[in-house]
Amino acid sequence: MATEETGGGLEFHPMDQFVVSPLFGDGPVAWYTPTNVTLWLALTALASIAVLVLGTRGRAIVPNRAQSVAELAYGLVHKMIEDIAGKDGLRYFPYILTLFMFIVFANLLGLVPMAFTTTSHIAVTGVLALAVFFGVTIIGFVKNGAHFLDLFWVRSAPLAVRPVLAVIEVISYFVRPLSLSIRLAGNMIAGHAVIKVFAGFAAIAAVAPVAIIAVIGMYAFEVLVAIVQAYVFTILTCVYLKDALHPSH
Amino acid sequence: MADKPRGDADRQADADRLQALEAKLAALTPKPSGPSPMGKYEQANLAWRMVIELVTGLGLGFVFGYGLDYLLGTTPFLMVLFIFLGLAAGVKSMMRTAGELDRTSGASPEGDKPGPAPDRDERD
Repeated sequence: MATEETGGGLEFHPMDQFVVSPLFGDGPVAWYTPTNVTLWLALTALASIAVLVLGTRGRAIVPNRAQSVAELAYGLVHKMIEDIAGKDGLRYFPYILTLFMFIVFANLLGLVPMAFTTTSHIAVTGVLALAVFFGVTIIGFVKNGAHFLDLFWVRSAPLAVRPVLAVIEVISYFVRPLSLSIRLAGNMIAGHAVIKVFAGFAAIAAVAPVAIIAVIGMYAFEVLVAIVQAYVFTILTCVYLKDALHPSH
Repeated sequence: MADKPRGDADRQADADRLQALEAKLAALTPKPSGPSPMGKYEQANLAWRMVIELVTGLGLGFVFGYGLDYLLGTTPFLMVLFIFLGLAAGVKSMMRTAGELDRTSGASPEGDKPGPAPDRDERD
C-alpha cells in the first residue's frame, strides 16, 4: 500500500500508518494474533471506561473536569435521542452512548502521535454499522411485526408504481450501513494521510515551516472531524432507530 | 461545601438542591437554545454525506443486479435495471438528507404558522 516516491530524498508513506501488524514478533496475522488493532481497540474501551466510570466516581454536585466531560457526553446523547427518536427511543440509550463514546475515543486516540487509528479500517466501522443495521432491523420487526415492512411500501404512490418504489426503498435501506461505515473510515483515512503527506514535505528545509504549520492546522481540523464524525454516526443511528420505532411515512 | 454525599439524608438534601437548581435554571435559560450544539459542523458534513449516499446507492444497485444476474443467468439486463434503481435509491436518500437540512434550519417542522392559511388556500 506504500506509495513510494524517491525524488531528491523525499519519501512519502502516507498509507503505512494503516498497516495491521502483530504486536509480538513478525509473521502472518491470524484471527487470534494480538495486533496493533487489538491494542488500540482495547485502549479505546479502557479510555471510555476511565471517563465514564472513574471520572464520575466522585459523584460531586460541582463536577470536576473528568465528570463534566462525562456529563457533557451523557447529556448530548440523551438529548439527541429524545429529540430525534422520541421518548421511547430512550430505552436504547445505553447502546447509543456506548457507540458514541467508543467512536469518539477511537478517533481521538488515533490522533495521538504513533497511534493506530482503528476507525480507519472498514472492518471496524463496518462492524459498528452492521451492528446498528441489524439491531435497528430486529427492533423494527419485534416492535411492529410485519407492519415494519410499511417502511418500504409507499402508500401515497399509485398502486402500479409501488413495487418499483419498494425495490428502490429496499436498496436505499441497504445504503445506510454502507454509507455509515464508508463515511467514518473515509474521513479518518483521508485526514491522517494528508497529515502524513504534509509531514513528508517537512524534510525539505525550504518548505519546512509551511509544512509544519499545515500539519498543525490539519491536526486541529482532524480533532474537530473526529468528534463531528462520531456525532454524525450517533445522530444517524438515532434517525434509523426512529424509523424502526415509527415506520409509517 | 461538602463534595461528596455522606449519608441518605445528605443525598436527599443534595437531590432537593439539584431540583431547585434545575427549576431556577429552567426559568433563567432562554427557551430556544438553537438546534443543537453541533448543528453548524453537521451542516458542513451534509454535502459529503449526500455524495457518499449517491455513490453507494449506485454501487449497491450494481452489486444487487450483478448478483441476481449471476444467480438467474440473465447476464446484462438485471444489472442495467438495478443500476438505475440504485441511482434512484441514491437520489432518494440524498433528498432525504437534504430534507433533514431543511428541518434543522427551519426549527419547527409543523404547526408554526396557523395564521392566515384559510383564505390563502383558495388562491394557490
